[in-house]
Amino acid sequence: MSSRRSGGSRMSDDQIADLVSKLQRLIPELRGRRSNKASASKVLQETCNYIRNLHREVEDLSDRLSQLLASADTDTDQAAILTTLLI
Amino acid sequence: MASLLPIPEIEPSPEISPEFQLKKRRKTEEKPASYHRMQGNQRMNRWRTRREQQIYSSKLIEALRRRSPRTSSSANGNDVRDTAYRVLAVSAKGTTHWSRAILISRLSAKMRKHKKAKVSANWKLRKPAAAGNSENRKMPAVERKLIALGRLVPGCRKLSFSNLLEETSDYIAALEMQVRAMTAVTEFLTVGNDGGTQSPADPLGPNVNS
Repeated sequence: MSSRRSGGSRMSDDQIADLVSKLQRLIPELRGRRSNKASASKVLQETCNYIRNLHREVEDLSDRLSQLLASADTDTDQAAILTTLLI
Repeated sequence: MASLLPIPEIEPSPEISPEFQLKKRRKTEEKPASYHRMQGNQRMNRWRTRREQQIYSSKLIEALRRRSPRTSSSANGNDVRDTAYRVLAVSAKGTTHWSRAILISRLSAKMRKHKKAKVSANWKLRKPAAAGNSENRKMPAVERKLIALGRLVPGCRKLSFSNLLEETSDYIAALEMQVRAMTAVTEFLTVGNDGGTQSPADPLGPNVNS
């Protein structure tokens, strides 16, 4: 099969499948099922969705964190020390 | 047979180095791609260690504390997010494309703010054909998704397929750690604020009927 599509990828299909399966193992969506079921397209799609979800979570957490920090200025020093010790 | 280079400069956590040595003995291929993959596995697992999360949490809190007096306690959500990503990129110790891209973009954003140069310069350079026109080159769905993925991971638009997947794996692991760390910090601060474990000098607090 000619693999000239993506700008000179000289890899064999096996290597591509291997990388894709490795990526698939990271995505919680696809980890539960048998790993040879998902196509490359689906793996990539789920990867994009997962990264977008993570971005959104970070955004939400940042907002919450900023509110917490703004509302408790004097306690942040104590909280900071305790956090670094306990977490 | 050309032997691979010895262990790279990443600090050896005890839970990682025996695994790495096992992988080194198993995969004695000569191609540099597989060497990077090995290194990538070790890097990726680093984001799962508790130690890395602790380091990240403390660095994040320190960075946030240092910032807030300057911004007159109007800690913006966007500022927190930018700080969080910056600290994450620093924790990657410059070993990955995405971490370097984050740090570089922060630097250039800061300089752009001072010099008031055109911010839109980068966006104009991006070819409109890359936006997913299903004309000639981008018809295969896998291609399109690869490009979308390359846009999501910072600094990875022009990487080869294997490098992109490598970066993606590391980026996902790092993001997961970031979410875990920020969740823990947020919960901790929430409990601290509401539960009142560190009640300031409040004489009338617990003394009701004694």
